[in-house]
Amino acid sequence: MTSPAIYDGNERGRDGRIGRMLEDRLPYLVVAPAILILLLVGVFPLIYSLIVSFQRITMTDNDTSFVGLLNYAELFKDGRLWAALGHTAMITIIALPLELLIGFLMAQLFIDRMPGRQFFVALLVLPTVISPIVAGATWRLMFDVRFGPIGQILSFFAGEPVRILWTVNPSYVYPGIIICEVWQWSPFMFLLLLAALSNVDQSQLEAAELDGASYARVLRAIILPAIAPVIAVASLIRGLDLVRIFDIIWALTEGGPGSMTETISLYTYVQGFTQFETSYTAAIAFLVIALLTAVTTLVLKRMEIAR
Amino acid sequence: MADVKLSGLHKYYGNVHAVRGIDLTIADGEFAVLVGPSGCGKSTLLRAIAGLEDPDQGTIAIGGHVVNDLRPRERNIAMVFQNYALYPYLTVYENIAFGLRARRTAEAVIGKRVNEAAEMLGIGNLLERYPRQLSGGQRQRVAIGRAIVRKAEIFLFDEPLSNLDAQLRDEMRTEIKRLHLEIKTTMIYVTHDQVEAMTLADRIVLLREGRIEQQGEPLELFERPNTGFVAGFLGSPSINLIPAKLVPLHGGASVVFETGESFALPVSKHGSLGGSGERAITLGIRPQHFSRGNGAPLRDGVVSYPAVVDLIQPTGTRTLITIRIGGVDAIAELQAHDVQSHGEEIALEIDLNRAVLIDPATSQVIA
Amino acid sequence: MTARRLPSRKVRVLALRYVGVVALTLLFLFPIYWLFMISFKTPDEIYHVPPLWVPGQIQFSNYYVLFKDHDVAAIGNSLVVAGVSSVIAVILGTLCAYSLARFGTGGENLAMWILSQRMIPPIAVVFPVFLAYVYFGLVDGFFGLILLYTAFNLPYVIWMMRGYIVDVPLELEESALVDGCNRWEVIWKVVFPMVRPGLVATSVFAFVFAWNDFIFALVLTRTEVVTFPVQLTHYFGGQSNFWAKIAAMSVLGTLPIFAAVTVMQRYLVRGISLGAVKG
Repeated sequence: MTSPAIYDGNERGRDGRIGRMLEDRLPYLVVAPAILILLLVGVFPLIYSLIVSFQRITMTDNDTSFVGLLNYAELFKDGRLWAALGHTAMITIIALPLELLIGFLMAQLFIDRMPGRQFFVALLVLPTVISPIVAGATWRLMFDVRFGPIGQILSFFAGEPVRILWTVNPSYVYPGIIICEVWQWSPFMFLLLLAALSNVDQSQLEAAELDGASYARVLRAIILPAIAPVIAVASLIRGLDLVRIFDIIWALTEGGPGSMTETISLYTYVQGFTQFETSYTAAIAFLVIALLTAVTTLVLKRMEIAR
Repeated sequence: MADVKLSGLHKYYGNVHAVRGIDLTIADGEFAVLVGPSGCGKSTLLRAIAGLEDPDQGTIAIGGHVVNDLRPRERNIAMVFQNYALYPYLTVYENIAFGLRARRTAEAVIGKRVNEAAEMLGIGNLLERYPRQLSGGQRQRVAIGRAIVRKAEIFLFDEPLSNLDAQLRDEMRTEIKRLHLEIKTTMIYVTHDQVEAMTLADRIVLLREGRIEQQGEPLELFERPNTGFVAGFLGSPSINLIPAKLVPLHGGASVVFETGESFALPVSKHGSLGGSGERAITLGIRPQHFSRGNGAPLRDGVVSYPAVVDLIQPTGTRTLITIRIGGVDAIAELQAHDVQSHGEEIALEIDLNRAVLIDPATSQVIA
Repeated sequence: MTARRLPSRKVRVLALRYVGVVALTLLFLFPIYWLFMISFKTPDEIYHVPPLWVPGQIQFSNYYVLFKDHDVAAIGNSLVVAGVSSVIAVILGTLCAYSLARFGTGGENLAMWILSQRMIPPIAVVFPVFLAYVYFGLVDGFFGLILLYTAFNLPYVIWMMRGYIVDVPLELEESALVDGCNRWEVIWKVVFPMVRPGLVATSVFAFVFAWNDFIFALVLTRTEVVTFPVQLTHYFGGQSNFWAKIAAMSVLGTLPIFAAVTVMQRYLVRGISLGAVKG
């Protein structure tokens, strides 16, 4: 049997019935707006898209009849799609290890204390925070065969004029893209690895030094295992981003020449916004989601097991 | 009136039965100390009184009103936390004033109360500083100041001195005791340190595994423990426990150690025992109940015991020695210069009037 | 006779490292230098063969052109869109994170679901979102774009802020509850001040993400709400590229980011690494 609250002179509206109800429900009330927005923008369009992928809507035909997995079946026959997947895979497989390696080497340089370290770190981070469009534009400028410094530098070292059309020449488009991509995101790896390396157990390293272990052994036995989780997470994040790569390629080559550098994101865009193959595009989108989810789940599972 | 009454309190954490049916009454103005080993439920009890935890069963009443459904801020309590809980981004003044501001107290009243409390605690010159600029003791005072200004009816302390070093702890303990003398509010204090419990409490509530083992005045628990647990918990160094046998004799009883030595029990001890056959007991002798024999005749109940000094640990005014008695190691507390060296033979006297006889099976004190 | 002191091994190593660091920095910043430099060049200098590495003089005519042609409206649009969406995302996200952190609302499942939202590839969502936006008339409007960026920043904000909130000692909140605050006041008066560094870092990240986004801006805008990255791509032609405009616009669109990030770089490392390691 309860009685009125024991106040010490405090009577405020917030302790009235509505106030108390709001306070009791606080955990749910504060979560609601965020969840609502996520549902609206994240989930519902996906569901709608799923439905559309089972229909037959194209540029010319607004056919909403149910056709089952027809669109998905067509995916497998689409050469351009698989080429796009191949392009994406190639970029990812080449760029990711490069970024890791360069980031690691950079981190090694910064690992010990030195005056002005923060300053240089701040500068090196800059490529990562600019828009990928700007990054692409910048390298487009750099690669320009007449007015860009790259050609000039190469010519200097080769001893003869070097005229590479980086954004058009089939042999050089991929190196060009990868150079730009690695330039922009190695600092990201660098930051993560620097933090991870700084957290390696100092006492272990000192013990190894006393034992006279070579650097290679220390690397293999102590450092790499200690930073392995960070490498895994970083690879996952950056790997996913690489699969979705769009902006840099758009800025550098727009998928060209032809569709040579067309990655899966670009292909989806082309199908959806230039061909207006609504249903088919939806199917592609879901294929991508399925692939990425599968890969992510696999990687996460392996990480769980490793722990 | 700010008495606290707990009735039939139970609390579960998952499968762990942390509080098992506690009935406790703390009188208005009393300084009650909840003490016990880790996991005994003392913090849970305190937090339940504060309203930070909800009991699964039972009622909590403050001043006669059941407060189970009231929020912490409505219970008219103030609390001092172990890690001081000071807001690092506020000055000392603002920290102390925090609760008053939350209750929309008038500025003038805030200023008056904060300055009063600061004066009382000797931190008046620190009001414009930030917590990070203060020492541990100063921070604790600010935390106490914050509790004082609220003029709450009940003060709760959750192991407030655990983070301080030994000397500071002694100092702050004295201050808290003085505080209680001055403002006479009901105070409920949780600690695992039995010295704090003994020195501060009007009433000690010794908890064990979610139940009250014994409660009462400090000296009562110390001199007349109900169980072996209580006997062993209070007192530093802790009581020596020696396995023995109780053997009835004509008109009395004697205690026989496994090593064969036996001592006659004084009337004050065996008088309360029902005479029956031999029984196994544990004899509890506090280190302070040993003394060095000086050749004078022994009083009733005091027996002599020759021992060999093993380890010697001087503490300043007293010296602790390790001896062997009844087949176990025991610690005796003697005067500073009573012993000289390891291996020395010494004639000790044991005051059996103060000894404690414990039933090994039930852990109850039988005499 | 005084002996000559050779620099100790440590000093030599340090000097070498410094050389490496400086060289590395120059290498990485060179493209950015080039970009900035072009924006200050006259058209003659820009189209000079071989390319000039240093402009004759610093002149702002390229920037002036942008202002004159109202191209800078794109910067303004980006400011509004990125600014508003990051503020909303941080407020809503922090509140949500508080609930997750202190009450475990929704348990593991909700937390996992929110995290999975972050993994959604934009390309998979851009098309259905486009369809939905067309249906509701949200294309080419501020509201639609802000809503979108808020939604896409929420998972990251929630994840980051949850970590920061968990680091706030519970005692501070409990003390406030006992002293007279209700839960709302505890969030506002205790939690927000305590996580301020985290708030700043996360806000900057959310802002940068919204600012730099291209694909959604490309798809969901036409002429009214052109944001900075989209505006930039308008300058790419088939044959001729407006290098001057590209460079100047890039610089204009990059300076705000540089400023924000450099000032916040104290929090940057923790932000990236925490977000990565914990997420």
